[in-house]
Amino acid sequence: MKNGLFILIHIGKTVSQRTFFLLVLCMYFLSFTSCKKEEVSEFTDSPIIESYLEPGNYLTVKISRQIPFAGTVTYSEDDLNNLTITAEHNSATHTLTSLGDGNYIDSSTIIAAGEHYNLSFQFNSKTVTAYTYIPAKPLNMTQSATEIFIERVDTSGGFPGPMTMPEPIEINWTNNDGSYYLILVENIETTLDPIRDFGDDPPPGNRFRKSPTNLAVEEIRAMEFQYYGTHRITLYHVLPDYATLYDNNSTSSQNLTNPSTSIVNGYGIFTGLNSDTLYVEVKEQ
Amino acid sequence: MKIQNRAIVSLIHMVFFLLTAQQAKAQKEYMFNSTGNVCYIHYTCYAPNNDYENLKRPFIFIIAGEGKTAQEALEKDTLKNLPQFSNYMFVYVPNRGSSGTEKLRCIEALASLLTYNYTYGRANLFLQVNDKNIRQSDIESVKLQKTFKNIRLAEKTDSTGLTVQNNTITEDFKENTIIEDPIEDEDDKYGTFYIEEDKKEDTETNAKPNSKAVKTYFGPPQTFDFTLTGIIKDRSTGEALPFASIQIKNTTKGVSSNADGYFTFQKIPTDTATLTVQYVGYEKTDVYLTPMINKKNFIIELNPSSQTLQAVSIIAVREDVLLSKKEDVSVIKMTPKKLEQLPNLGERDVMRSFQLMPGVSASNESSSGLYVRGGTPDQNLVLYDGFTVYHVDHLYGFFSAFNSNALKDVQLYKGGFESRFGGRLSSVTEITGKEGNQNKFNIGGDFSLLSMNIFAEVPVGNKFSSVFAFRRSYKGPIYNKIFESFNNRSENATGSPQPTGGPGGMGPRQMETKVTSFFYDLNGKFTYKPNDRDIISFSIFNGTDKLDNSTSFSAPSFGSNNSNFSISSTDLTKYGNTGSSLKWSRKWSDKFYGNTVLSYSNYYSDRDRSQERTVTNSGGEETTSSNGIFENNDLKDYSLKSDYQWDLFNFSQLQAGVFGTYFDINYTYAQNDTTTVLDKQNKAYLTGAYLQNKFRLFKNRVQFVPGIRTSYFETTGQLYHEPRASLSVNVTDRLTLKGATGRYYQFANRVTREDILSGSKDFWLLSDGNSVPVSSAIHYIGGISYETNNYLFSTEAYYKEIENITEYSLRFNASPGGVSYSENFFSGNGYARGIEFLAQKKSGKFNGWISYTLGEARNRFAIYSDSYYPANQDVTHEFKIVALYKYRRWDFSATWVYATGRPYTAPSGAYSITLLDASTQDFFTVTSKNSLRLPDYHRADISANYKLLKGSKGDRKRREIGYIGFSVFNVYNRTNTWYKQYSIEEGEVIETSVNYLGITPNITLSLKLR
Repeated sequence: MKNGLFILIHIGKTVSQRTFFLLVLCMYFLSFTSCKKEEVSEFTDSPIIESYLEPGNYLTVKISRQIPFAGTVTYSEDDLNNLTITAEHNSATHTLTSLGDGNYIDSSTIIAAGEHYNLSFQFNSKTVTAYTYIPAKPLNMTQSATEIFIERVDTSGGFPGPMTMPEPIEINWTNNDGSYYLILVENIETTLDPIRDFGDDPPPGNRFRKSPTNLAVEEIRAMEFQYYGTHRITLYHVLPDYATLYDNNSTSSQNLTNPSTSIVNGYGIFTGLNSDTLYVEVKEQ
Repeated sequence: MKIQNRAIVSLIHMVFFLLTAQQAKAQKEYMFNSTGNVCYIHYTCYAPNNDYENLKRPFIFIIAGEGKTAQEALEKDTLKNLPQFSNYMFVYVPNRGSSGTEKLRCIEALASLLTYNYTYGRANLFLQVNDKNIRQSDIESVKLQKTFKNIRLAEKTDSTGLTVQNNTITEDFKENTIIEDPIEDEDDKYGTFYIEEDKKEDTETNAKPNSKAVKTYFGPPQTFDFTLTGIIKDRSTGEALPFASIQIKNTTKGVSSNADGYFTFQKIPTDTATLTVQYVGYEKTDVYLTPMINKKNFIIELNPSSQTLQAVSIIAVREDVLLSKKEDVSVIKMTPKKLEQLPNLGERDVMRSFQLMPGVSASNESSSGLYVRGGTPDQNLVLYDGFTVYHVDHLYGFFSAFNSNALKDVQLYKGGFESRFGGRLSSVTEITGKEGNQNKFNIGGDFSLLSMNIFAEVPVGNKFSSVFAFRRSYKGPIYNKIFESFNNRSENATGSPQPTGGPGGMGPRQMETKVTSFFYDLNGKFTYKPNDRDIISFSIFNGTDKLDNSTSFSAPSFGSNNSNFSISSTDLTKYGNTGSSLKWSRKWSDKFYGNTVLSYSNYYSDRDRSQERTVTNSGGEETTSSNGIFENNDLKDYSLKSDYQWDLFNFSQLQAGVFGTYFDINYTYAQNDTTTVLDKQNKAYLTGAYLQNKFRLFKNRVQFVPGIRTSYFETTGQLYHEPRASLSVNVTDRLTLKGATGRYYQFANRVTREDILSGSKDFWLLSDGNSVPVSSAIHYIGGISYETNNYLFSTEAYYKEIENITEYSLRFNASPGGVSYSENFFSGNGYARGIEFLAQKKSGKFNGWISYTLGEARNRFAIYSDSYYPANQDVTHEFKIVALYKYRRWDFSATWVYATGRPYTAPSGAYSITLLDASTQDFFTVTSKNSLRLPDYHRADISANYKLLKGSKGDRKRREIGYIGFSVFNVYNRTNTWYKQYSIEEGEVIETSVNYLGITPNITLSLKLR
């Protein structure tokens, strides 16, 4: 040991510095060879599931693929119309029937409120699974008015005078557990009678929706209606995973949230929902 | 081949020499080679000062008279008793052989061996020949005149040969203190600089201003093994110099001054010893002790090396910009004084300069915070005069928050740091502010295309000094360039359509842009020294950045109706730091020193990136809604700590301390004016104590620092023990082996908020012991360094295990049963390992360094991946060259940095979901975490500074009053990618590279009164 140390000293003193350090360098490089190559996977072919389970309907699922950003990707060999998809409910397992275009149906299962459903299939050598349950039908849905009177806005003759805004329609229901609810309003007339002139803009659609809420009340304001006539108001009782789809809809591009983590090895939505319906008349004042 | 042979022969000699070395009191006898060898010699060494180890000294070789032995020559010799030669080594060689050349044979080999290949230069080798038969021709035939500086023959010759002289013996054999540096041009045309003569009382050193240290006392020593205490100061300003090193010349025995410049040096062998004092940016200076000195309050003054006197430059080895400390593991030291020599972007910057060293990543233009050895900037503790600074960036991180005009000393501990520091996983940056000129008022400033910077130093009486420094950016070309490079996102798009500019893209409507961005900082420090023992200082720092890129436009809405519509898009980031500390230091006794610091530090950041829409309808009713990101982070740190050091024995220094911190850290994150995504408010105490001891063993060849730190964290209610140790062994004067290990905990972390589309951001959070756990690390460090007067070669390898690091990501819903965003904290572990190499030429007109780091930083978060993936800050290869050249009044420098690109995650695909209202919503899928790499980063910078002098040439008062600096950043205009942004336009992903700065020239004018 003592001599070894002296030799080390001596090497340091006499052999040129360069040689010495090359030596040290080599030693270190030798001891540092365990760098692993990382696995680089830029695109993974994972399936997209779309399925809303509503009481009274059959269990249906749509399977699709992602659209890759890079031009050159390799898809797995799975055929979207030839997958073996199984649904499990109450310990009974059924295989879904393909309807083409990635759509599948389990015509032996009629969805019921309060029930749990599991989905499973193989895709790209992985087992894709999903589960959900069906929430209860909204309770005690009421409306503050069954009709609303809105002035027709005529912009052809210059600026109209001050308008009086009617009171909004308030929809109430019972929500004791902070569940998520969503309101969808749809004009069900066959011909649409616009309230105001849309100018050069394309006419808006015949339906609009409110953001998911976990309150027990929602207001529909007069200015949200675009057409006169009968409107159907659907109150959906949804699960939080569905509600998160809407969170993503904000103007911020903060995140790439992939909703519903009940799906393993895939993306999309597999969720249960339940609804109740009311009607409101929009009339010209 | 020749070198190797010589090496082997010398090795045999060496081992033999060591084995045959015998201890004797007055003299030592040795054998050179063994019987049968031509060069088998019994010779005798004699050191008047009884120091047989030092090689950096003159050697006088004495060849005995005809037929005499070495012992006889010694007995007869009188030179050894001359006081002028008291530090010399005498070597007596027997007279053997018949002819003159035969008698001289082997002398060169012996001289080479004994001086370890001429450690102190051949200019300090002398030969006395006592045999009249040896003549000059013999000397010349064996070429000894090339080995020895002077040779005295027994008989005066008539030769005019310069190598063989016969003046007075003390003159001929005088010690030559020129440090040999073949590159250093003695004939310096640089101009003559003299520091201003101050009419203050002479200090205790023998060195007087404007002259080099001269040995004046040749008498015998009067005190032995004594303790010297005192202070090290800057000669021109009187400022104490912290962490300067003092050594007994040519030995490894030494100490460092403490944070206030005080030192205690125990067991100095004699009071005629010579001390070598070094401080980066100052001349390395020799101090000759005499029995008359004040041993209790010894003042050593150093000259800043920028004011190099011609006379002094001979003795002083100029230390350059950065210095690695030999005996400390992983420590780099820097003085802001020398920073101007490095290329800069308008501001001399300590943090940027550290980024040129191995192990500290240089490819983050957008972060002044240090990425040390695979750690993140929040894992680097930044202490400024005792208070913690939590955010060190100005202007998107292109500049650090520290004004170099207000700084005195900066040290970076890259890992394995001592127990007196805590609360961080990776590294420590310890910054000491200037106290200000203690003697005279001084004012100065820097003016660049980016900012102006003014400082003043105001002493009041001789007990009070103060420093003020203020810096503010103005919207000059560089500022705009940096600002735009951050905000302009339309570069390098790889998708088909370019994103339309401006929010909304509403066509020809009124649009205003109001940009009022700036940064400023303010430093103040007030120091009161009521006596020799106490120092009370108050330091305050305030810095603010406001980055505003807001736009607004208004228009009559939707055709011709009478409602008005306006959108204002706000992009406002405002952040800043306020910190202050009150410190009391007291030298209780020569051996006991303590200080207590009461400090406050606040960091806040408010970010508002939103759109506000205001609709005024025809009824005059206004509806306002805001959408976007609102992010607020507010951190407060109230601390009290006391540190003590006790120089127990000459080989042991005990350090201990207690500390307590109260943290109050809040973070809120909202996506529109009603939805708060995250609201974290944490408050907790952290208290504890540490104990460590610095042992210097085996004649200071071994430094061993074991220590333990224990903390109690209120939130978790647990004790955290952090045992640590470091060891350095000076195998020889030049070769040092080092190692360190330790455990580290961190309670306040900057958590990364993952954002794949627009770049991740981070925020400070206090551990809640649950979703944000207390993180920890274990370090293992080993290294070796080889240092000569001019060169330093060093390599260190490290391995760090990191546990419980936290990231925040909205990419995952924690569970389908809830949308609680506070559940989106994910914890993981990781490791970092690597090896660093540094080769530095420390002195000479041309100096600089080359460094290379091979590194790996890996994380494993279960949410992202089952296996380890590259951490965000991972850089595999990093190579840096820094070259500095001095020519007359010019300082030139060039740097080149190359680094492997950083990893990133990108969207890989998209899919749509049809919602209940039949509309569709697009979603993205992403690549596996950090599986892609940005292009490699590289960049070259150059600069040239021209010194401004006051006074005409030859004027004794001529001195430097500033410089004009020209620098070009990113000379060859390399496009380096900062991060990538993605936007989705009509189903296509548009990838935008946000790039770092292109070529950016700058001019700085720096002036100072003194």
